[in-house]
Parts: sequence; structure tokens; C-alpha cells
Amino acid sequence: MTDKTGMRKLLDLAADKSDQAEVFHYRSDYGSLSVRNGRVTDMSAGIQTGYALRIIKNGKLGTAYTKNLLDPRKVAENAGISMKGHVEAGFSFPSPCDLPPPPSMDGTVASMGFDDLYSYSDKAYEYLSDRVEGQVDIAAERSVTDVSIMNSNGLDVTRHSPVMYLFASVLFPNTETAVRKIYRSSSASEFPGEDLEEMAELYRAGLPEVEVHGGRMQVMFTQDTMFTLLWRLSAGASGMAFHSGISPLLKKRGKKVLSEKFTLYDDPTDTSRPEASFFDDEGVKTRKHVVFRNGIFENLILNLDYAARLGEEPTGNGYRESMWGGETVAIQPAPLLKTPGIAPGKASFRDMVSGMDRGVIVMGVLGAHSGNINNGDFSVGLNPGYYVENGKIKGRIKDGMVAGNVYEVLRNVVAVEDELHDSLTGGRFPAILLEDVSVSAR
Amino acid sequence: MLGRLESMIREVDADFVDIRYEIKTETVVSFVGREIKSVGSNTTDGFVVRVLREGGFSSATVTREEDVPASIRLALEGADTIRKTGGKRVTLADVPVVEDVVKPPLDIDPREVEIDEKIRLTEKYNEIMLDRPETVTTRLTYREVARDKHYVNSQGTAVSEVLVTTNILGEVIAGKDGVSQNVRVAIGGADGFRKLLDREELFHERSGIAAGLLDARSVKGGTYDVVLNPGLAGVFTHEAFGHFSEADIIEDNPGLRNKMVLGAELGSREVTIVADSTLPGQVGYYKYDDEGVLVKPVTLMNEGVLTGRLHSRATAAGFGEPPTGHAVAEDMRFEPIVRMGTIFIKPGGHTLEELLRKLGDGLYLLDGKGGQTSGENFTFGAQYGFIVEGGKVGPMIRDVNIMGNLFTTLKSIEAVGNEMVLSESGGCGKGQINIKSALGGPSVLIREMVVGGA
Repeated sequence: MTDKTGMRKLLDLAADKSDQAEVFHYRSDYGSLSVRNGRVTDMSAGIQTGYALRIIKNGKLGTAYTKNLLDPRKVAENAGISMKGHVEAGFSFPSPCDLPPPPSMDGTVASMGFDDLYSYSDKAYEYLSDRVEGQVDIAAERSVTDVSIMNSNGLDVTRHSPVMYLFASVLFPNTETAVRKIYRSSSASEFPGEDLEEMAELYRAGLPEVEVHGGRMQVMFTQDTMFTLLWRLSAGASGMAFHSGISPLLKKRGKKVLSEKFTLYDDPTDTSRPEASFFDDEGVKTRKHVVFRNGIFENLILNLDYAARLGEEPTGNGYRESMWGGETVAIQPAPLLKTPGIAPGKASFRDMVSGMDRGVIVMGVLGAHSGNINNGDFSVGLNPGYYVENGKIKGRIKDGMVAGNVYEVLRNVVAVEDELHDSLTGGRFPAILLEDVSVSAR
Repeated sequence: MLGRLESMIREVDADFVDIRYEIKTETVVSFVGREIKSVGSNTTDGFVVRVLREGGFSSATVTREEDVPASIRLALEGADTIRKTGGKRVTLADVPVVEDVVKPPLDIDPREVEIDEKIRLTEKYNEIMLDRPETVTTRLTYREVARDKHYVNSQGTAVSEVLVTTNILGEVIAGKDGVSQNVRVAIGGADGFRKLLDREELFHERSGIAAGLLDARSVKGGTYDVVLNPGLAGVFTHEAFGHFSEADIIEDNPGLRNKMVLGAELGSREVTIVADSTLPGQVGYYKYDDEGVLVKPVTLMNEGVLTGRLHSRATAAGFGEPPTGHAVAEDMRFEPIVRMGTIFIKPGGHTLEELLRKLGDGLYLLDGKGGQTSGENFTFGAQYGFIVEGGKVGPMIRDVNIMGNLFTTLKSIEAVGNEMVLSESGGCGKGQINIKSALGGPSVLIREMVVGGA
């Protein structure tokens, strides 16, 4: 339920005192639960709102926000005060444009209660508990978020996003190290049995704990660890890094910098994804946006600000999100891949594993945020990492790390999986097998 | 405010109910390179309600006051669902009923300082880093977070506390021949604006380290003996042990809980670890947690033996251990969870020179670049380091990340230094960001750590 009245009032107040104004508003209601070791341990719910104002006057930007629009005049005043910073604004807020009709929603997520969340969680719990001996944990959430943007150029858009997720973990004995999988949907639905079956199989394969000798070997990143590589690639392709002159991709546009097997894109218009959106958090129309195509660096990731600074068109990637969460309206729009995807290849997961002489499957990582992200460097703990020898998974590695530079390791892609999977961090990815990556182990 | 909150929960049909209302004012001045990217001071607010009914414990958060009745309904519905489904039955540890109003001890109240002065100060430090020829860009932010918290529960506790945390923090990025290296910088605390003044030397030093890293060699992956400086030893303590001392991490994992019984010998005799948010003048300071419980210093490990744990009221009752006042929320969007606050290894008797001599051949690693924990496994990164040969500090190294396992690493601490340095900023992300997660301690010598390298 969007507060269009409040938004309009704030916009009118702000537009009176500026050349351009924009109001961003969200309302989210959600409920979540955790099942740990067979019993519900936590249930929580919330109804959160927020309002963010941006004004432009004489080429300078003013910003303000609040969660509770008790005094629109005060918010407009705050935006005026913030202009003391003389923040450059070389862009204009977008004008209205034709957007596709919103995808049809069946309303089942909106009507979910705690009982429904419990029922779906319990089914997933029972399914896994029947198949593995390890501790099974399930987290579940349903949320309905409405985002609206109005600006003084006449834009008035709203997106309605009902999403539920189920997140299953099977813990290895006496640890928190686990095989994990997520299922997201815009309809109330069960965790697919085949995904849970796959989890159980992977769990059994990882039960033995093995000690290995480090060295350079083949390394496979799965959908849930792909963000280790993508954080670095998207930092490099961001307009922010180009404008600051710190991107390793400077002067490499149109050049082949990675393996021809690698294509990375953002596609918010894919309505099969619950996070689909036809406009970004600045009201810019979104589209399928290819960043790397067959290893060639094609496009930057841009919001309104950095597009203007670099003399480019915005790419519909301006979002009020950060790596560490935070209050949506307190975060200024920044270039971001909201719905990333990697083009599938031709190999099945099983064939990729059976083709490995000696290597590691990176199933989970610790420390992906550490290290020199700008430079593309990564050095992450395996949590867990599976050791493969002669095409067979031998077990999970005790105290191991993989390290490298994303611009080097993605030149040596052996194979890309033929299937896409939802990842824990958002996005849909295949597994990617890389050659000659450094592995350290105790 | 406290009276209004009390009236909102007076009629709730539950065994226990509490409500927290919070007004959060955040002032930010942010630079990227020489450009100001944002300036502003903004206020948000909201309510958090928790109810306990027949063992079911559930919470709801809302922004608007008119939604508080809905939040109570949602929390009751959650509590009833937990009970109906045979979920976890919660009891709350007894704590004293408290009525108190707490003002922060501030040398200079940052809220009284003009925004122009905040811009000028941040710009001055930013310019120091940008003036070094190797610097390509910077990211530097003045951030002042004032939490005006009001807490009431159905047992009669009514507490208001204001916490003001002020930092200037960010990174300097140096570049050469297509390679860039970044080093973090952070100053500030929870006792006022004065800590931000006259800190030019630190910004000179940090930009110098970033420039030095351009010519440093990447460390080769493998197993090394290491000395960690206080900045990195703090991250190690936080990641390798601190999270495991938070009771909610292990309470629902029977396997781990059995390993973490009080009295278990987990570390070497050199290691005594304390969590103490009552220390004045440091970033982790607070008086009451977000369920109105007075925070206490806790000795978590004494000479290698597990002696204490950090608790909320619910986990304290669940473990049968004393409550410690460590249920902390990021802000009014969240229910409180167990957070460690200020954690450190108690200083020992060795000088840095003695630690390096004992190290012999290995790595001397300095300052944290983030870390992560999952159960007993942890990683953390060093901002920079040096090769040590025969106890002598040699060439600079970079790209150092370390992985370890709680149950092996704490026993590998061979010696502890005699200094004590605490961080000036926090930022732990256990589901919520805790800007008061202070850490530090002395330097420590640890044998056989797995280093990722490049």
C-alpha cells in the first residue's frame, strides 16, 4: 500500500524550492521463521516504510530521508541544508516512459501467515531429515514490498514485489559448516524435491573430512560462491571505479579480457525471477544488460550520476542497496547488478566433476569481502570445499583456502555448467570450472 | 515517552511484553576523491515489540505508531504458532527492575558541532591522503549516529539511553601500472568529538602504507607462524572466538554446545579473553542493552579455560547462566540479538621485539581488513605485513588472508604482548550491523596458521 498522498505532498514542497525533485518511497511487510534442529526457534514480523528525497538546484544535489513522514516540510528543509555540501549533480531525473505491464501475481505470498511459513518449512525439514543424519535447519520468509518513485518531470511508477524464500541447511557433525540451498518464488510454493535430493547427495559426499596438500589445481565455483568473483568483476565494471580511475578494466572496453566461455549480464526484466523490475531505484527503465560477452568487456554498470560524469547513458543499475544491508532510504543510489546472471555452458555438473583429475569444489566461502576487491584479488576460506581426485569427490577439506585474481582465473575457464541455479546472494548462475588456481591447506 | 510506551503494552495478554522506541539521527559527510558525494543529517524512528506467551517468544517491528497494535498482534500470532507447533519454549532470566535515564558522557557533543566544521575536518584529512603522489583516490566519510532509545517492559523496567557514536572512516587507494592497493583508516569513538581532532599524523601514515603496498610482494599460500599486531589480534579474537562466545550462535546446535561447555580447555595458558563494554572512552561503551539489562564485564576465557558466555535474557535462562547485558540491536528495525561488544585478549608480558624473536621465521601481520565466522571456522584479512627471518622484520607483503578453526587455533597461541590498543570503530555484520563492536588487545604469536596468499 503505497503512500502516494504523502509522496505527492513532499514532492510539491521540494519542487517549489528546486529545479528538479524526486521522491522514493517503499513499504515492506514481512514475516520470517527459523527451524533449528527440528523446532521453531524464532518468528518475527515487520511493517517498515521509508521516504527519500533528492533535489537538484543550480546543478547541485540535496538529499534527505525519513522512515516516518510525520513532517514533510522538515524533510524538504533537510534536503535544502544538505546542499551546503555543493554535491555536483550533472544529471536530470528521468521523464516518464512506456513500461511493460507488471507481471501477474497470484496473491498467494501476500496472504501467507506464520502457519503457512511453518508448513512449507516443515515439509522441507521432513524431506531432508528422512534422507540425512545431519542437523537440518530451515529459514523461511515472506515479504511484500512496494516501491514507488515520483519526480518533478512527471515520472510516477510503482513496483509490487511479493517474494517468499525457503533456505535449507544440512550441518556436518558438530559444526556449523553445511550444505545449503535456497528456493525463491513469487508464489507460495514448496521447496522443489529435486533440489532437496541434490542437497542430500552432496551432503553425503562431503561427510568424510580430508586433509590435502595445497598447490595449483582445478577449482570449481558453484552458484553459491560465485559472488566471490562477481563482487570483484562488478566493482571493476562500475562507473564509480571508472570515474575514480581505479578499475583494472580502464581502456579495456571492447577487448577480450576473460575466457570466451564467460558471459555476465543483469536482467531485471526476466519475469520468471521474483526480483524482476522494469525500473531501477532512480526510475530508469531497465533492460537486459550484458557486461561481459564471451569474455569481451562490453558495458559499464551505471546509475544516473556516473553515467553523466562519464558521458554515457544510464544502464538502469542505480539501486539503494549496499553489500552490508542498511536502511534503504539512507543509501544513495549506486551502480549495482541487482539481478545478475551468467550464461550457461554445455557441461553437466556430474560431467564437470568426473572430468577433474585433482581439484576443489568451492561450496561455501568465508571472507569474500576481505582483500583487495578493486584489484580483483580474492583469498577465501573453504566452508566447505570438496576435494576431488580422479573424478570422484573424496570429502570436505579441513582448513583450506583458494586465492587468485579474478581477471587471471577467469581467463582459464575449463567448463561452464549447462544449468542455472538460484544463489544464496541473489542471481542465477551455473557452476564454473577453472584451471590452475592456488589452493592452500593445512 | 516511557509513559506512552507503557500504555501501549499495558493491556497485552502475554506472560511478558516489551517495547522499544528509538529515534536515530545520522549525520554523514562523504567524500570520494576530492568530490563531496553526500552531506546530510536525517532522523528515522520506529518501534520493536516482543511478546512471550506460554513459552513462545516472538517479535515485530514497525515504523509508525498507528501500526503498534498490529505489531503486537503479529508478535502474539508468532508466539502462538511457536507454541502450537511444539517449537522452542523460552523463559527469561530474572534481572533487576530498573528505572533510569542515561545521557552519554561526551567531551564535545558532536550534535552541537556545525555541519560546516564536520565538512572542513573531513576534507582536511582527505586532502592529506590525496596529496601523496601515489594516491589515486580516497573514500572518506564522517558518520555520526545518535540512538535515542526508550525501553519499557511489563515487569516494570523503564530505561532511556542515548548513545552517540562518531567516526571518520574510509580508505585510501594507491595505484601504479594498473595495480591498486587500498588501506583502511578509522578514527572516533563514543565519547565525543575530541577524538576526531588533531589526527593528521594517522592519515599521513595510512596513505604511506598504501603507497608502500604497491611495491610489496604477494605472500605465497601456505602454513606460517605469525605475529599479529593489536589491530589484527582484535579481529582474530572477535572472529576466532568472540562469535562462539555469543550464546545464540551455539544454543540450537547440540554438537557445538557440547564442545563449548564452561570449563572446557580450548586455548593455551597464555590466553585470557574479556568482553567489557563498560570500559569508558571506547567505541563499544553502553550502559544498558536493548532489553534494559545492565551490561557487565565477562571473562570469557581464563588461561585457556572457557569461563563465561555472552547472553540475552532468553539465552541466559536457556543455558542456566547469569545474564550479561549483551542483547543489542542495530536500530529500531531489529529485535536485539547477542552481540559481543568490546572484546580483547588480556595483555601478557612480552614486548613486540620478544614476540618477533620467538617467532623466528614467519610473518608479522598488521591491521584488520575484515573477517568472517561460521561456527568454529573463521577467516580474517591483514591490511599489510612483513616477512620475518631470524626475528628480523624484512620486506613488506600484501594479499594476506588467514583461515583457522577455533578448536585448534586458540591452543596455538604461544605468547601474548604487553601493550593494549582498542579499535576506534566497529562494524560487525552478524545479520545486523553493530557499529559498537570494538576490539583490540595486545600483539600475539600464533603457530601454524593457514594463509591464502595470491
